[in-house]
Amino acid sequence: MKSMKKVLVLMLSLLLVVGMFGCSKDNDGSGKSTDGIDDSTNVKIGVLVADATGAEALAFRSYYENYIQKQYNVTFMYSDELADAAAEASAIDNFIANNCKAIISFASADRPAQIRKCAENKVYYAVATGTLSDEEYKEFKDNEYYVGAIGPDLYTEYLAGYNMAKYYLDQGKTKFAVFGGATPYYVDMHIYRTAGILVALCEAGGGNYNGASDMGSMIGTIYGMNCQLTPAVIGSVELVSYIGGYDFDDAWFGKLAEAANNPSVEVLLAVGSGLDTFAAFKKPNQFLGTVDAYTADAVKAMEAGTLNYLAGKFSASIGPIFMATLSAVQGKPIRTANGEALALSQGYWVATSADEAKNFYAVDSSTTDPAYTRAMLDTLFGASYDDFAKFVGAFSFEEIQNLKK
Amino acid sequence: MDNEKIIRREKIKNIIFQVAPVVGLIIMFALFMILAVIKDINIPYSMKNILNQSVIVVVVATGAIFIYTLGSFDISLGANMCVSALIGAMAYNRTNSLLAMLAFCLGTAVLISSVCSILASVFNLPVFVTTIAMLSMLNAGVLMLIGANGTGDIVQVPAAAVSAINTTWFKLLVLVAYLAISIFVFNFLKLGRQEKFVGGNPECARLTGLNNSRLAILGFIMAGIGVGLGAFLTITYAPTLSRNTASSVGMDVIISIVFGGMPVSGGSRSKIYSAVVGALSMTLLSQIMLMLNLNSGISQMVKAIIFILVVYISMSDNRKNILPR
Amino acid sequence: MKESLRIENVSKRFGSTIALDNVSIEARDGEILGLIGENGSGKSTVTSIYAGMQKADSGEMFFYGKKWNPASMNDALKQGVGMIVQENGTVPGISVAENIYLGEIGDYRRGLLVDRKSLVADAQKCLDDIGADHIRAEMICGVLDFQDRKLVEIAKVMANDPKILVVDETTTALSQKGRDIIYSIMNRMKNEGKTVIFISHDLDEIMNVCDRLTVLRDGKIIRTFEKNEFEENAIKTSMIGRELQGNYYRDDYESDVNGEVVLKAEHLCLGNQLSDFSFELHKGEILGVGGLSHCGMHTLGKVLFGALDAESGTFTVNGEPVRSISDAMKKQVGYVAKDRDTESLSLDASIKDNIAIAGLDKFGVRNFLILPSRENKYVNKQVEALSIKCSGANQYVSALSGGNKQKVAFGKWLARESELLILDCPTRGVDIGVKQAMYQLMYEMRQAGKSIVLISEEMAELIGMSDRLLVMKDGRLAKELKRSRELSEADVIQYMI
Repeated sequence: MKSMKKVLVLMLSLLLVVGMFGCSKDNDGSGKSTDGIDDSTNVKIGVLVADATGAEALAFRSYYENYIQKQYNVTFMYSDELADAAAEASAIDNFIANNCKAIISFASADRPAQIRKCAENKVYYAVATGTLSDEEYKEFKDNEYYVGAIGPDLYTEYLAGYNMAKYYLDQGKTKFAVFGGATPYYVDMHIYRTAGILVALCEAGGGNYNGASDMGSMIGTIYGMNCQLTPAVIGSVELVSYIGGYDFDDAWFGKLAEAANNPSVEVLLAVGSGLDTFAAFKKPNQFLGTVDAYTADAVKAMEAGTLNYLAGKFSASIGPIFMATLSAVQGKPIRTANGEALALSQGYWVATSADEAKNFYAVDSSTTDPAYTRAMLDTLFGASYDDFAKFVGAFSFEEIQNLKK
Repeated sequence: MDNEKIIRREKIKNIIFQVAPVVGLIIMFALFMILAVIKDINIPYSMKNILNQSVIVVVVATGAIFIYTLGSFDISLGANMCVSALIGAMAYNRTNSLLAMLAFCLGTAVLISSVCSILASVFNLPVFVTTIAMLSMLNAGVLMLIGANGTGDIVQVPAAAVSAINTTWFKLLVLVAYLAISIFVFNFLKLGRQEKFVGGNPECARLTGLNNSRLAILGFIMAGIGVGLGAFLTITYAPTLSRNTASSVGMDVIISIVFGGMPVSGGSRSKIYSAVVGALSMTLLSQIMLMLNLNSGISQMVKAIIFILVVYISMSDNRKNILPR
Repeated sequence: MKESLRIENVSKRFGSTIALDNVSIEARDGEILGLIGENGSGKSTVTSIYAGMQKADSGEMFFYGKKWNPASMNDALKQGVGMIVQENGTVPGISVAENIYLGEIGDYRRGLLVDRKSLVADAQKCLDDIGADHIRAEMICGVLDFQDRKLVEIAKVMANDPKILVVDETTTALSQKGRDIIYSIMNRMKNEGKTVIFISHDLDEIMNVCDRLTVLRDGKIIRTFEKNEFEENAIKTSMIGRELQGNYYRDDYESDVNGEVVLKAEHLCLGNQLSDFSFELHKGEILGVGGLSHCGMHTLGKVLFGALDAESGTFTVNGEPVRSISDAMKKQVGYVAKDRDTESLSLDASIKDNIAIAGLDKFGVRNFLILPSRENKYVNKQVEALSIKCSGANQYVSALSGGNKQKVAFGKWLARESELLILDCPTRGVDIGVKQAMYQLMYEMRQAGKSIVLISEEMAELIGMSDRLLVMKDGRLAKELKRSRELSEADVIQYMI
């Protein structure tokens, strides 16, 4: 009978797990209707995620689930963490089977395949952050089921890196250590940010990096090096040490420590995840800048002086693409004058002091009064392309606060 | 008589053992249908979807049964599939021939699989040890192949090239053909019988004239065919391959086989249909979780608990067999 | 004499099987009480409950008049009831001394360290006390052979100076020396006014050693015999519940063996197990091979089947050398291993699987394709011929009794129509009814012109069944004895030791 007891315990724990999480949410479709939004029928939207646990990913998710889903009669279905193109395809199949009317994607293993599958099955598709490449955009811009992409385009990514480096160069710093994030994995976003840093160094130092000194040639040089960068003296400034990848094993951490601890290094720059990497090794006389998300930890780090420069996406930045998607689903697509899909860029919020960071975080993490509220988003429903683009273009913290007023 | 009671109990137990996984599958299916109606799901698309998602795991798991039956274990299945798919895709890109792609997928997978077992036989090691070594080699191989291909972080086959065979019917055909061959080999050929016997008691098998290492090599070759077919189907389903391709297959296969009622220790209770029943049950379970809109962490936890439950119940039977006389 | 142990109306079920049905037993100071019964009669179950290994479903137990309800085996041992079990109870990776004081290592702790010196010294004393002074306490237990590991277990139990000692079928697996050690311990305890419960299959042994004898059958007490009532046939009848018919061993002493040599071994050498061992086996002959447990006879069996390679020397079957097990099988040689559950059978497989596996080349179409009809025919013939008690050929072997298991192991080779059988301890752990059937079968095979190498540790069976008997000592042939009515166990034993 002991074994029966054990089986029962296991069964109970099963029920508990399902019960605890299964019953927790369900939307109470309020049915209110403003600006022509049809709130009477629930719209299911699938969300593809490649990262289910990162701080930024969680912030995005919280905005959709804890704000948008409560404000509108929509249900978000989240995918598992998708590792490859096959997993993306299955997840889309799942969403289609569950009658999702649209899919918003954070996963990028095979974007063209995602869009094709959605279009074949008459499901709207939108890119949540990031952009399509020029070729991809050309292929899909006229497809009525491709809603578009709003997010930092690659030039914005380049600028994020460039501005971060320039901030310290302007202060007269000359010795840099750089963490290149996913650069060795050929991830464009990180390659462009790294390129931005290197170009800023070239401009300030009056030299070049392996022959390159502007954006185009720098990207070419990085690819030419198979995305494996090496330290270099660039005129009067120096890239003292460089490390890339997300191995996170002991050997890798050893290299990371070495890169940070080089006695001549004044500034540590991370194109992503600075808090999980360089922060642990930073010495008090060094400075650390990173592109990352606005989280409680980041704010604490800013207050403690561990972090001095933070460029981050704000979680409500995915509000407009939701609105564009909902508009499309409800028959009021937002297209350019030529009927093409959206391709809009939106940049980062940059904080250089603890107070700024605290302010940003307070707005960004709010589930009652986030950066983009329902009242603001409602103006986008069925809006003209120009109005929509203007709204998205005014993305800095101050601009948004003004919009709110 | 005591003896008769034991025999009767044993008989009932065996029937329960054989039927339980199928009953589990039926319950899952019923639950799925009920929820599908309540939640207004696109049922025809769902059916196709379930097949699509199960088919690769079923094929690989069917092959893997030949390994598990031996009481052995291959931790490198997923990595093998990734390498095979990469090489198959590269072969296609050179030749533009789907047949060449299939041949290279199969050839690579069988080669890798048999190398594991041959090494084990030469060095007289348990095969799972060589599969661990193989896992690291294959992971390095994946990075090298992707690097050598020179397109950054992916290897791609043009989607149009495989769309013609990315159909339900083609997948069903591959699945049924491979299943039929496996069932035949497993139940009606000397090889299958010997595999099962080795799994039950390797020493007794040796003392009955069976060549255990030769059988291990043959078992791994059968598994290699499954991996190769799985790699081929993966390319047709999602023609963009990365270092993460097939990363979850190894785990899915183990869980499916156990869900399907296959004893983890192998032996004569091994059944090919465990792969089919298990993979379908697992896919249905995932679909049910999705319909309830549980996030992924929860569905993993639910799977884990069910996994422990199934293994516990099947093992507790073995424990009771060790009674004092 | 005072009552020491009392068990009252104890019942125990395993699922739907009734292992014990209202069993009551009592034992006294200064006596050796025998428990005897066929496999599954409940004799081990009842003693293991008393020794704290498992719990009874109902009933009461007493220890010197006090209620007895041990929490565990260790608890029972601490309170004075020790049990030496059938299965192996030692931990292979640690030293003999640590095995003996497992659970009491704390007593030897000096600060953070363990006082290894006195631990080893005390353990050695325990070993010396029971007469196992050839075992060194500092040795790693795993390197010891089965018998010595058993002796370590005995030392471990005796180190706790139990008032009641249960010896469960320990002797069947031991050589004469091991048995002698156990007998002397039992006698010493008896003389000290303590109680011994002795469980055995071996009727002769148990009649010799015990003062009283309780017979169990199907979980019930059948009868208790006082020493003056001991009579072999009466005990056997109460054990199996019916009269034994026919002869136990064969009773012909004159029949001749054909001169044709089927197996010839010359100068076989292998480590210290075989040295310069030569013999011939003739067609239609039962050749007994006996000796102490480690004389090399079990190794010989494996070598003759091709399962172990001799370092030098040759052997031929029908004039041809044997290269491997499968080669031996092609030459119609079969081998029933000593360790039935681990070497002869796959327990978690059906009777059909076990019998068919050796004959795939016999009934498989082109040695390749297996047709169920042909397979069933092949298997069912043996199930019937051997009258294996089962629900059908698909029954799992694990659910069979010891005797029926052994029948399956036999059937595997009989089905192949093996001409030469190497049988290593074929009646070990088999109850009397089946034992008799086995002897009958061997004799019939002999009469049918088949040859048998019978390796055994049971003197009576060797003398009773063999046409010739080879006595082995330290891997050498110590003596060859011809079959005769006058041959006694003492005649054989003198060459073994």
